[in-house]
Amino acid sequence: MSAHVRHLRSKIPSGVLSSLRLRRSPPLRLASSSLPPSKTNAFIAGVDDSSPPPPANAGRIRLAVKDNIAAQGLPTTCASHILTGHQVPFTATIVQQIEQRLGAELWGKTNMDEFGMGTHSTNTPYGAVSNTLSGRSAGGSSGGSAVAVSLGQATVALGTDTGGSVRMPAAYTGTVGFKPSYGMLSRWGVVPYANSLDTVGLIAKEVAPIQEIIQAVCMDYDPKDPTSLPATVRQRCVSERQCFPTSRGTPPDLQSQGLRGLTFGLPIEYNIEELSPRMKKGWMRVADQIKEHGGRVVPVSLPSTKSALSAYYVIAPAEAASNLSKYDGIRYGRRASAEVEEVSSDSLDGILYAKTRGEGFGPEVKRRILLGSYTLSSEAVDNYFKQAQRVRRLVRRDFDRIFKLSNPLLENEHEKSDGSSNQQQQFDLSDMDESIPLESKLGPSQIDFLLCPTAPTTPPKLSDIAKQTPFDSYMNDVFTVPASLAGLPAISIPMALPKSEDDPVDFGGVQLIGQFWDDARLLAVAGYIRSKQ
Amino acid sequence: MSRVPTAALSKYLLQGQVSRQGCLRLTRSHLSARALALRPAIASHCRSLHTQQAAPEASLSSSPAPPPSHVPLRKQLKDEAKKAKAAAAGKKKKNASNQVVPGWELTVGIEIHAQLNTAKKLFSEATTSFNDESNSHVAYFDLATPGSQPHFQKETLIPALRAALALNCDVQPVSRFDRKHYFHWDQPAGYQITQYYEPFAREGRVVLQPRDGIAAEDGDGIAVRIQQVQMEQDTAKTMAQPGETHWIDFNRTGVPLIEIITRPDIHHPATAAALVRKVQILLSAVDACVSGMEAGGLRADVNVSVRRTADGPDAPLGTRTEIKNLSSFKAVEDAIIAERDRQIAVLEAGGAVEGETRGWAIGSTETRRLRGKEGEVDYRYMPDPDLLPVVIGDDLVSHLRDTMGQLPDAEVDELVDVFGLTAKDALSLVGLDGGARVEYFWRVVEALQAKLGGGAGTIAEHPGCFQLAANWILHELGRLTSNPHDESAQDLGLTADGQCQRVPVESLTDILAFLYQRRITAKVAKELLWVVYRGTVPAQYASVADAVETENMWFRELAEHEYAALADQAVEGQEGIVAQFAGYKKYPEGKLMFLVGRMIRLGAEERIDPKNAESVMRRLLEEKYVPGLKRA
Repeated sequence: MSAHVRHLRSKIPSGVLSSLRLRRSPPLRLASSSLPPSKTNAFIAGVDDSSPPPPANAGRIRLAVKDNIAAQGLPTTCASHILTGHQVPFTATIVQQIEQRLGAELWGKTNMDEFGMGTHSTNTPYGAVSNTLSGRSAGGSSGGSAVAVSLGQATVALGTDTGGSVRMPAAYTGTVGFKPSYGMLSRWGVVPYANSLDTVGLIAKEVAPIQEIIQAVCMDYDPKDPTSLPATVRQRCVSERQCFPTSRGTPPDLQSQGLRGLTFGLPIEYNIEELSPRMKKGWMRVADQIKEHGGRVVPVSLPSTKSALSAYYVIAPAEAASNLSKYDGIRYGRRASAEVEEVSSDSLDGILYAKTRGEGFGPEVKRRILLGSYTLSSEAVDNYFKQAQRVRRLVRRDFDRIFKLSNPLLENEHEKSDGSSNQQQQFDLSDMDESIPLESKLGPSQIDFLLCPTAPTTPPKLSDIAKQTPFDSYMNDVFTVPASLAGLPAISIPMALPKSEDDPVDFGGVQLIGQFWDDARLLAVAGYIRSKQ
Repeated sequence: MSRVPTAALSKYLLQGQVSRQGCLRLTRSHLSARALALRPAIASHCRSLHTQQAAPEASLSSSPAPPPSHVPLRKQLKDEAKKAKAAAAGKKKKNASNQVVPGWELTVGIEIHAQLNTAKKLFSEATTSFNDESNSHVAYFDLATPGSQPHFQKETLIPALRAALALNCDVQPVSRFDRKHYFHWDQPAGYQITQYYEPFAREGRVVLQPRDGIAAEDGDGIAVRIQQVQMEQDTAKTMAQPGETHWIDFNRTGVPLIEIITRPDIHHPATAAALVRKVQILLSAVDACVSGMEAGGLRADVNVSVRRTADGPDAPLGTRTEIKNLSSFKAVEDAIIAERDRQIAVLEAGGAVEGETRGWAIGSTETRRLRGKEGEVDYRYMPDPDLLPVVIGDDLVSHLRDTMGQLPDAEVDELVDVFGLTAKDALSLVGLDGGARVEYFWRVVEALQAKLGGGAGTIAEHPGCFQLAANWILHELGRLTSNPHDESAQDLGLTADGQCQRVPVESLTDILAFLYQRRITAKVAKELLWVVYRGTVPAQYASVADAVETENMWFRELAEHEYAALADQAVEGQEGIVAQFAGYKKYPEGKLMFLVGRMIRLGAEERIDPKNAESVMRRLLEEKYVPGLKRA
């Protein structure tokens, strides 16, 4: 058991734990490897995934959409019983943008973990999503989207990434998964899991199609999404960044210069005991490749990493419990049928809506609603929810200190509070690991991108997952959660793993994380590294 | 009228099939899911309370409970009405000091919810409405449609800020929205968006004066501190249908409210009612609210506790109970009195007051328990992660402060000090028709000043003229619309800017000026008012003056000798009456008025000034009819 999980568990009173443990996931319908590889349960609606992949339609994007993103004409159920057959009466802004700007063709709704809660896309009433590697996890929660891409059904798939839900499936399926900066892509029409962390993410086989979409929509402010970054702020952010269509200054000439001038950081806190040796070797091999192409690789320290996962599993369930309060079966979705004798059809044992919500939500969703309701309760809110928000600030501070670029949102805050902008934050050496060499008197060297694995292991077998406790799967998010907490852009690209006799899977995912709104340069560099593999 | 037990009613109506639950609607409110689901249980609990309540009433009137099968219902109802009336009258006399209970101190804090006067909802572009077709003004977000997000309508800040300024609050430069979670069908998202951690206004105060109707015990006045004012969403409207069905109208969902929370600074029930009334007047004066309590635009919750005065002022406050959803000023006062008395009774019996939520039904004498501590919902407040902080600039605040206009207190002061109105009339003017009545008064005053010669000295030169105007605008205008048989005539058509469709400012000014200058009699003036009200001016006469002229209604007073002749006529045949003046012990004013009355009836009424007729009669009695009569 990892330090993170122990930490999390020790903080939860036994009463809550036992109620969480009470119900294990029901037996999975799709754990066997005897099914044909095409039968992956990737799609919920719009497409039959057993049909052969359609021929490439020159230049036209086939867009698969995760089932928690609204696309008019198709149901939006978030893979939940409680929304069976539900159609959101409008189309998500991001779907509209891609359809209209890039002439994309809508190619079905993809399977997922219910409401985005899960790491393997097994918490779904539509049958667990199976990787094209038979019987393996496709990752979650955007597993259907990743498999739709790896099957060749979709050229680009939309997912949502709250704590790694796009990057993790990409790593498990050998595809590219990108989570943009928070506030870049509109969330209007995206059913929220945890609003302050949710981002729309993109999955494709290569970086290029993702880059094309980001370049096309990155300046679009959506007034319908209150967390969409306003146009003036976008303009300011872009002016301090490279590789955006309207960026000032020359972008790095990767083709002739390679990665010269770029520094990559290896966070030493990410070298955890759960990280499989093969994954670690693959990671170091990518670091070596970067050096071969002129990049500099340095160790860096992110001291609050240890608390990040715990903070994530306090904040995300709290927001989820709140967001999911609306599902009562009255205005939409599925309502538990009234029994003949029952006087009030919307209550059970005197609890309003208990029957509808009890029948409608799956076990993992219920677990997180319980967890979130507890951490927001008046007796626990100070120790959990508020504490987690403080940790979240520390995580962001960690990132701001190691990146060369400053955080454009924070800069503004500084100007307001003390009039000084662009102030270099000095490291508190006492909370930094002693193995990190100092670059100057201000601290260790600052970096352009972080380089780390996306997942600690190769995709586990679905049959093994069924035996795991919920906490084991929470563990998988340890590398992806910090970027989500800080709202930073992150991309997972495939990396080769050394051959192994125990495990036929010979690839993993390696993650690059950039400073806020450094999305365009991150994609360019990721594309370059991908092209040299 | 006291409540007739449904048991008694059911014997007469519908073969005993009358539902005994029908009148026990649950009040809309923040009942917990648990409490609501226990509806039948609550209902039966309430029912038993009612029966208990009926019993002491009967014993109070010391009449044995009539056997229902022998007494006709109508008689029973009549009797009970009589008894209730007698009891109420008796109470009133005792009531002189119902504001205090010797040995006990009452402490009250109030939460007032007021609907803001805005065009749109707080977080969607749906329009606000009143009594429109159900579910016709609903945006995706109002229904908590998955994938929709809130859009804060910043225009809603303007009435909210005006309210905060009228309440003397500090407007906070940064405030935030939080989610307050509880399940109820009138709450589509499962939470209400409110401002729990960081409200937009704090630390205000409302000064109450004796003329605001505070308890005599509060002397010259009292300042009630406002702890905070927060913006929040209203809930959907539930329309109970027969059986277990509830219809929900989402038009009200998300309509902006402000909640005003006072500190526990109030110690007398009448003062609590005065505070709520004052807040309503203030909010309507700055145009922050659509409607008052009478129209459901304002609701109050009161927190009540008592402690023994012997424990001294530093003793901790007693355990408080909250009475929810009071919808009239009288209910505020009555509920507090009832709850205070209940708590004292509990404590004097050696019991302990439980912190609980209670309800109040109009006309009842006791508060009733809605739910106890164990039924409390943990609201699990959480900052709304979709909503940005609200940043309010100083420039906006100072602009609103500068353009807010005169507040009611200053206006009342001006009416009393400058225009010589009584405080009561000044308050009535300011409080009526959401401020439209006093605007109308100001327009009439302006026109009167112009007519009477204008200039700064007008007010001093014409004492009484403006009190006369106030009398007419309050009372004579009120009489026009008091005909219960004519519904079309119920509305004066006063507008917020002080115009009146039915009685235009110019017409009333003409009437008042003629009356003040004694060019017409009061009787004629009143007739003219009806003429104007019915539209005969301008339909038939070009103006009031034209009507008076055409109908020959100018007051052309009788000459002295004409009065004398009239007096002679009046005493003719009244020797018996006249004789009573001779050697009176107490001057028979009544007889005098009788004779004056005869004068008026005999003569041309529109030419007689009753005062002058009286003095002529008085003089002639002394000089002519009863020579040697001593002067009164």
